[in-house]
Amino acid sequence: MQASKRLTEEMAQLLLKISSMLMTSGANTNRILLILNKFAALMHADAQVFINHKAFIISLTDLENGDKITEVMRLPAHIINFTTISALSKASVNAEKERWDFEKIKYEINRIDQIKHHPRIMVLFAVSLAGAGLCNLFGGDYISFAVVFVATFAGLFTKQLFARNSFNPYIATFFGALIAALISATLLLFFPSINPDIAIATSVLFTVPGVPLINSFTDFMDGYILTGFVRFMNGLIFVISIAFALFIVMYLFNIQSL
Amino acid sequence: MNFDITILEKMLWSGVVGIGFAMLFNVPKRLLLSIFITALVAGLIKFGSLANGLGVISASLFAATFTGFVSIPISRYTHTSPFVISIPSVIGMIPGYFGYKTLLGILHIALQKNPGNESLILLSIIHNGLNMIFVLGSLSLGVSLPWLLFKDNVLKKIKIKESDDWV
Repeated sequence: MQASKRLTEEMAQLLLKISSMLMTSGANTNRILLILNKFAALMHADAQVFINHKAFIISLTDLENGDKITEVMRLPAHIINFTTISALSKASVNAEKERWDFEKIKYEINRIDQIKHHPRIMVLFAVSLAGAGLCNLFGGDYISFAVVFVATFAGLFTKQLFARNSFNPYIATFFGALIAALISATLLLFFPSINPDIAIATSVLFTVPGVPLINSFTDFMDGYILTGFVRFMNGLIFVISIAFALFIVMYLFNIQSL
Repeated sequence: MNFDITILEKMLWSGVVGIGFAMLFNVPKRLLLSIFITALVAGLIKFGSLANGLGVISASLFAATFTGFVSIPISRYTHTSPFVISIPSVIGMIPGYFGYKTLLGILHIALQKNPGNESLILLSIIHNGLNMIFVLGSLSLGVSLPWLLFKDNVLKKIKIKESDDWV
């Protein structure tokens, strides 16, 4: 009896870890429940979860011996990581196909947790190119393109610096957007013939919280209104911090409208 | 039907934007090519519709719907979750520009000392805010349309090839 009780607890904790990894990496609620239920079914358990942005509550019933356990877990900081979602999704399919047991699932989850990020310099270059591409999409010329490349590089570097020193994420976004807008506005002082609006407006686009905003609306559509609202407000606060940064730059450089 | 070379240029940059954001979100390297192609065609659909007189909301809806449907076979082929393909592909269309223009308008109204042109700013706040909400809604609707229209067991039947482990 004692042994089985301990096992149920471990199962609940593993399921909480899986859902916490999915939530902090930016999966939507439907996907979290889908993957969670697959793993719970493999462990011969029934999982009832309450999903929220900052904490999870799981109530697990072991279908073999009828044990019940309720566990709560607070989530760490959200860092979008689609490798985790992709790997967990693949693992859930493979686990169902090959009937993995508890130890195998636990081993695989720990392996997925250790997968590394892309090299920082590559991410910086790719995102700067994307920002410059967005400048082109908004109708900027190729001088603005180069300016936005430099500004995004510096802005993302600053944002990562703040994030690494575990600052508040909204503050990190604010400073990232501030540096990017400041640099693009300053560089464009050397080209008075070019309208600086497009470059300044697109240089901060890398900070836009796309994943929380899209996930909030997909959650609304799936009927998870509460989580949807939490995600939307989270995204909105990021947008507010970007707007504050832009407002400061517009004030400093006396730009009337963007 | 309007079509000129700038659309092709914009289409190329849409693909690049897709890859850039995919790198930011740490998408596995093996998926980058499929995201590039999906974002490329989505960009073609969006800017092609814009050039032919459609509004930004319906253009985003068409592009996102394409992405949502095409992400299912690609995700089966590459053994991943469809959202891992579709979200980076549409992330360049996120109305962040409308979002912070709305809030900049609000800040202007809140902080300006000599009022005068509030009605214009107010109109721009409403215009940008509604655009942001509706474009976001149409992007999410388009991306999740396959699940809203078809049941899970229908979508599960889509199988291209049992590929090996590519990681």
